[in-house]
Amino acid sequence: MTSATLRREREETRTARAGSIGAHQRRRRRIFWPFVGPALLLYVLFLAFPTVSAVVLSFTHWAGAGGTPVFNGLDSYRELFGEEAFYDSFRNTLIFLVVGGVGTFVLAFLFTMVLREMRGNKLIRAILFFPNIVAPVALGIFLGFVFKFNPTKQGLANFLVEKIGLPPLKFLQPEHVTWVVVGALIWASAGFYITILMAAVDRIPAYLYEDADIAGASPFQKFRHVTLPLTWDVIGIAGVLWTIHAIKIFELVFVLAGPGTYSPPISTWSLGLYVYDRSFGAGGTPQYGVVCACGVVMILLVSLFVLALRRLMRREAIEY
Amino acid sequence: MTAQTPARRAPRRPKPPPGSRRYGPVRIVGMAVVWLFTAFNLLLLYWLVAASFKTPIEIFQQPFGLPLHWFQLGNPMRNYLYAWNEAGFGHAFVVTVLLVGAAAVSVVAVGAPAAYALSRLGVRGHGPLTSFFAIGMGVPFQTVIIPLFVAFSKIDLTNSLFGLYLLYVALSLPFTVFLLTGFFRSLPTELEEQAAIDGASPVRTFVRVMLPLAQGGLVTALIINAIGLWNETLLAIVFLQENAKFTLSRALFTFYGAAQYQSEYGGLIAGVAIVVLPMLVMYIVLARRIIGGLTLGAGK
Repeated sequence: MTSATLRREREETRTARAGSIGAHQRRRRRIFWPFVGPALLLYVLFLAFPTVSAVVLSFTHWAGAGGTPVFNGLDSYRELFGEEAFYDSFRNTLIFLVVGGVGTFVLAFLFTMVLREMRGNKLIRAILFFPNIVAPVALGIFLGFVFKFNPTKQGLANFLVEKIGLPPLKFLQPEHVTWVVVGALIWASAGFYITILMAAVDRIPAYLYEDADIAGASPFQKFRHVTLPLTWDVIGIAGVLWTIHAIKIFELVFVLAGPGTYSPPISTWSLGLYVYDRSFGAGGTPQYGVVCACGVVMILLVSLFVLALRRLMRREAIEY
Repeated sequence: MTAQTPARRAPRRPKPPPGSRRYGPVRIVGMAVVWLFTAFNLLLLYWLVAASFKTPIEIFQQPFGLPLHWFQLGNPMRNYLYAWNEAGFGHAFVVTVLLVGAAAVSVVAVGAPAAYALSRLGVRGHGPLTSFFAIGMGVPFQTVIIPLFVAFSKIDLTNSLFGLYLLYVALSLPFTVFLLTGFFRSLPTELEEQAAIDGASPVRTFVRVMLPLAQGGLVTALIINAIGLWNETLLAIVFLQENAKFTLSRALFTFYGAAQYQSEYGGLIAGVAIVVLPMLVMYIVLARRIIGGLTLGAGK
């Protein structure tokens, strides 16, 4: 036995092991497609492909299931942009997205300022989160009761308004209902974003807040100089989630603004409601081309806001 | 997930020296607002539960009172019985439990292997593919509803619970894959390597080692999907036309118009309660897990 043979043996075992690791990696890679395949198939078939189809169909004229789509260039878009119903829907959706979003996040920020130092804050968070597990239809009907205006059967809100001696308000009139929806959105969604933000706040080391305390920082200063920079990434993601959620608002408006059996007045519509009414609602011949164009506008709006948010929120990551 | 391991807790914060604890006016107002908001939510919940046992007159004229009339008549469950039997919520309840249960289990069964493969196998191209799945979260249902509806009516899957089941599974996949890739990525690699050294095949490693490790994440994904699908209304409205196939949210949507017309407010509130209360119970039991899962998805 020389040292040469020993070395050779050692090398052989090493190559053998490397070989088996390589073989193992290969075997692991072989399961990749069987594992991803079913999910990918369902995803492409029922979501990716229909999205592409909607884009294609938006360049056609199509009067519903009986007819056939005929290519008509940008006519669907021209028709869509020429319609007042679309403008109303677009405006209201932007109101939900921007005003509702600002309101929700401001409220969430205010709560994170005080909630961290409050006793029982886990319980409070759980209670604030609760509206988020309620179906939007149920929430809408429930709020319909709360804001009901009827001289003999006032809802909870007007019951209280009358109790303090003021004349009852017609909350659900078309001119007001958009703002009632905004309020309801802020009330219901704040809990969700408080929860997400507070989970990020919990990960911030306590000594940073203690240092700030010693330096005599006010709650707002602590928020501005500790919480905000250290939860920046989570806030960005929360903003994206809000955008995705706000674009497709439908049930809440449908139920709150209307009688429930048919669509509410056009001036209260959201884009989600426009799509529903124009394709499956009661009125007129459906125009699938125009509706698909509206669907494309919705997806573009999401992309635009998400890109803008990412641009706005871009910043060096802070390690802690 | 962290809930089950009480092993490590942060050391208790030392008590501040006396006199250093400041309650500024901002904090006091802030705390008052938080408590008011919380109390308001609880009040609304009380109002909902109480009203579901009331007569319409009691609902509107004594909104804070306890229900009395139906109890005096010896028929306290009158509103629930009306909703359950006359308005079809009983049948819809069974349909929803079966549909949502099947869809939530299926989406996790399909999504978990995909998420594992995307996050742990180190195959080239997994990054773009993961993003491709995640983008799906941003597609509003309204964009795809017409192509789906037309295609489904061609192959007779409209007005079909199986068709809706397929849609629920497929459209829940982006979120599920996103959530679970984050979860699998956070698991330690040692056990996987150990299993490989012991000669376990990749499939066996996944089933015997990784799935049990990921149990917490899988259950969370299951619950969040179940809640989302339980509350889903748009697809149910578009794809179900026959009363016998209605899901709960669909039944509530239809009943809303009719109930208003007939002033059947008691039954309507009971209907709302039938949709909400099961989720409330689930939430009370599993709040930590639901919130933990959502923040895991958003936080990473």
